[in-house]
Amino acid sequence: MSTVPLVRCAGAARTYGSGATATVALQPTDCAVLPGARTALMGPSGSGKSTLLHLMGGLDDPTRGTVEWPAIGTRAALRPGPVATVFQGPSLLPPLTVAENVALPLALVDVGPAEARDRALAALEQLGLTALADKLPDELSGGQAQRVAVARALIGAPVLILADEPTGQLDRFHGTLVVDALLHAAERTGAALVVATHDETVADRFDACWRMRDGLLSTEVARCSS
Amino acid sequence: MLVLTWLRGLVLHRRGRLVATTLGVAVAVALLASIGTFLSSTTSSMTERAAARVAVDWQVEAARGASPATVLSQVRREPGVQRALPVAFAETTGFQARSGGTVQHTGPGKVLGIPAGYAQAFPGQIRTLAGRQGGTGVLLAQQTAANLHAKPGDTVRIGRAGLPDAQVRVDAIVDLPQADQLFQKVGAPVGAQATAPPDNVVLLPAGTYQALEGPLVTRRPDLGRVQVHAKLSHALPGSPSAAYTQVSGHARNLETTLAGTGQIGDSLSVALDGARSDALYAQLLFLFLGLPGAVLAGLLTASVSSVGAGRRRRDAALLRTRGATTRQLVGVALAEAGLAGAVGIAVGLVAARIVGHQAFGTASFGAGPVAAIAWGAGSALVGMLIAAAAIAVPAWRDARGLTVVGQRRQLGRVDRAPWWQRYGIDVLCLIGAGLVFWQASTGGYQLVLAPEGVPQVSVNWYALLAPVLAWIGGGLLVHRLVDLVLARGRRPLARLLRPGAGALATTVTATMGRQRALLARAATLLALTAAFAGSTAVFNATYRQQAEADARLSNGSDVTVTESPGVSVGPSGARAISAVGGVRSVEPLQHRFAYVGADLQDLYGVRAATIEEAGALQNGWFAGGTASQLLDRIAQRPDSILVSAETVKDFQLRPGDLIRLRLQDGRTKAFRTVPFHYVGVAKEFPTAPKDSFFVANADYVAKATGSDAVGTFLVQTDGTNPATVGARLKAKLGTSAAVTDIVDERSVIGSNLTAVELKGLTRIELGFAFVLAAVASGLTLGLGFRERRRTFAIAAALGARSRQIGAFVWSEALFVTTTGVVLGAAMAYGLTRLLVKVLTGVFDPPPDYLSVPWLSLGASLVLVVVAVTAAGVVTIQALRRPAIEELRDL
Ligand SMILES: Nc1ncnc2c1ncn2[C@@H]1O[C@H](COP(=O)(O)OP(=O)(O)O)[C@@H](O)[C@H]1O
Ligand SMILES: [Mg+2]
Repeated sequence: MSTVPLVRCAGAARTYGSGATATVALQPTDCAVLPGARTALMGPSGSGKSTLLHLMGGLDDPTRGTVEWPAIGTRAALRPGPVATVFQGPSLLPPLTVAENVALPLALVDVGPAEARDRALAALEQLGLTALADKLPDELSGGQAQRVAVARALIGAPVLILADEPTGQLDRFHGTLVVDALLHAAERTGAALVVATHDETVADRFDACWRMRDGLLSTEVARCSS
Repeated sequence: MLVLTWLRGLVLHRRGRLVATTLGVAVAVALLASIGTFLSSTTSSMTERAAARVAVDWQVEAARGASPATVLSQVRREPGVQRALPVAFAETTGFQARSGGTVQHTGPGKVLGIPAGYAQAFPGQIRTLAGRQGGTGVLLAQQTAANLHAKPGDTVRIGRAGLPDAQVRVDAIVDLPQADQLFQKVGAPVGAQATAPPDNVVLLPAGTYQALEGPLVTRRPDLGRVQVHAKLSHALPGSPSAAYTQVSGHARNLETTLAGTGQIGDSLSVALDGARSDALYAQLLFLFLGLPGAVLAGLLTASVSSVGAGRRRRDAALLRTRGATTRQLVGVALAEAGLAGAVGIAVGLVAARIVGHQAFGTASFGAGPVAAIAWGAGSALVGMLIAAAAIAVPAWRDARGLTVVGQRRQLGRVDRAPWWQRYGIDVLCLIGAGLVFWQASTGGYQLVLAPEGVPQVSVNWYALLAPVLAWIGGGLLVHRLVDLVLARGRRPLARLLRPGAGALATTVTATMGRQRALLARAATLLALTAAFAGSTAVFNATYRQQAEADARLSNGSDVTVTESPGVSVGPSGARAISAVGGVRSVEPLQHRFAYVGADLQDLYGVRAATIEEAGALQNGWFAGGTASQLLDRIAQRPDSILVSAETVKDFQLRPGDLIRLRLQDGRTKAFRTVPFHYVGVAKEFPTAPKDSFFVANADYVAKATGSDAVGTFLVQTDGTNPATVGARLKAKLGTSAAVTDIVDERSVIGSNLTAVELKGLTRIELGFAFVLAAVASGLTLGLGFRERRRTFAIAAALGARSRQIGAFVWSEALFVTTTGVVLGAAMAYGLTRLLVKVLTGVFDPPPDYLSVPWLSLGASLVLVVVAVTAAGVVTIQALRRPAIEELRDL
């Protein structure tokens, strides 16, 4: 396995606002995600998990330090393609059907509509969602929508999947289904996976566990349950 | 308490809808109140103008046997009467004059005795054409002078029944512009008036009259009568209706006081009576042109403030979880609507005041204090209704069906079509409008019925249905069409969008298809706005064009030179006129008199090749062919003649029929018969009277009568102000000709057309149309995009580039703008045709073609494009990097 990290944070910190009202969401942080790594990001609400994921995904800039993607390239190269994100809440485009939502990342890289649909249907089949292909997001349950979001994240064959509390709004049963889907996909494609969660039983299923508290990250802990 | 807290919260954090609704209310209120101002200023100027056109307000005729002096003193005592002078009338058996070697006779006529200072006391009654100025001395009416070939200085004999002829020396030739009123049968009902004033008239100074006609009247009292001519104070109520009521009431009152010794010919009331229907037309114009704008402002407000409905429902759901009742929720919404309404009304009324001041120089909203309050209150009420409809009604509807679960589904899949679509209401409305239109196109249609003398003016309200149905049907049909394209036409649409959207085209069209309720609404609103702006602009331009044509029709051209009677100038006289600075071209127009049977009519000899352009002839003025076709016939067959419809009927003429006219020979001055062939009907002609006249080939007339004398020169200016050119010509030609210019004419003309001064309304309407167009396009689209910020943010977070987000934004913008503008233009065309037809009577004669003000329409199109572009650019800029706030929501 290559040791060139997919993403590397060097002293990266994020402060919201300035002056008296400034909130330090992320203290200066050093971390790296290697290809194929499966990492759980644990921490209570407000500890800075989302902030860190946004920085790693290149959706936001650090106020101090740097974030780099040595194995991928510049930030412009991250999306659509190498880096895929699964958001905490519903993130399907309301006016598009499930199949169209899943095919969207392909359309964004100029894959023709017919081919994009075929690949989207295949991705849905992988997750056992074929029956939902022509439904609109409004017609799905929360768990179904999250699994479709996973299918959409996987369709571009990403090397790094960032999931921000994908099970946060789901019951245990559906949460498990979603985590299963993510882990299974990572297994199959060899993609690295970082999943933010505050659920210990979810975290237990990952190789590594990072813990966050008040914007401070510790990457020391090997297993979450210990 | 909850209400206040919530309102504070709204003002602090949810300002968007409040501001949008407030502005919408302000625009609607300002539009309505400005129109009130327009109506007030137009109607009061109508009263003023109608009154100013009357030379003698009242002609009080002393009863036979009554003492004229008593009547005079009684009239003079009447409050409101400013001046009163006695005028005596006597019948004559005819006039006689010698000119050249021949003696000319006329039929019976009238001799008037006027006191000194009469012409000054009643300006407008006597217009001196030649000879001594000032309206003193012996004055011969122009037609009489023409019949007698008399000029100033000539001697005229006056026939007196049973007495030897009297002799007078003519001091001046005069025109009596208001002969109809002057010679009215006082006391006779409107229908029993003589059809035409007498042709043969001489006016004598009171002393001369007494000396010459006194003996006659003493012998034959039945041949003489005395009238007291009175001028009233014109400080009248602004509304023509009120002025009419006041003046006619006053006249009846005076008649009672006179107790049978006198009867009043109330010309002022007659003029005001006409102005009443003009005022009604002004109000109808408001209905047709103004009301759609106000309704549109309301629709736009509702649409703009419905943006963010989802979020508000969530807010309400939140309140509900805290235990708020339906009543409280509605109360909160009502308070919000009240706030938006109150502020909007205040802003709107202030804006209307400013607009009114700018456009009309009046800041009152109505024609009187009562009307002003009514207009102000009415506009305010409409404003409140709009605010309520935009905020409170949806809130109430939500509150009733609201569950804590919150947001309802907005994107339908196979929604059932709305009820109006299923029942085809749009098509039915359009068919209805078409039927009314068709009915209005056939004969006998009149929008306003104002029988003279009857106090009631009635409107054919049924005809008003046509535009209402057309607006509703058109709007709904646009909605249906846009909806249809989005639902069924996705494939072709995707193909159209491919060049810009690339591989995303299918996705974009899918998105648009599922948002079709939103897009169809936006396109419909834009189409309605475009239709409003377009129809208003075209209608107003056409109206102005017709007003211009009307003024030209009665003046003949920019400047008209009419040779004085007795002066004989050939076509070569044009050269002297051409030499005057500012003259572009001069068209000679023969003016003769011709007998058809016993009837004397005006005859115009034209140069067929040039008159059409020089006289700006319109097809609507003729029947039996277009202007060019008829003139071609006159050119090809020189003995062709155009006659009035009345003559056609009287003589049962068919095209090609021979008509013999008796025209005066230029050499012998005797009348000789000249044959013509009837080829068409002339209803209107430059300088011609409204009733009957002939149009024939000038060369043929010249040959037949041995005289090429020209009566009138139609002068076109080269862009120099006609008044300036007119003044130069007056200075050059002196008393040998009368010079009138179109600028003068415009201010005195009394038809419906120019009576309603539309310029102010045009400005208001176009201004509002611009505002509405910008709102309908830019704001609606922009807010729609804003509403879907989340969707775009997700796309951006998935890696969509600005260009790709742009594909979504621009595709929608292009689609909505194109369909809205194109369908709106089609609607505008149909509506304008309909308006012109339904408002027949405003347009008299009807216009040949619609005048399209491309400049202002182009400007509003540019405005729409700019607004849409701005909305798109702002949206895309905002999404260049998804906002952190948006991401946190994901
Ligand atoms: N846009 C923002 N503006 C201000 N404060 C923010 C913003 N985003 C996050 N924060 C603050 O930063 C801290 C970390 O937030 P976040 O990364 O969302 O935590 P987590 O995802 O672990 O719940 C919190 O205190 C939060 O209030
Ligand atoms: Mg978070």
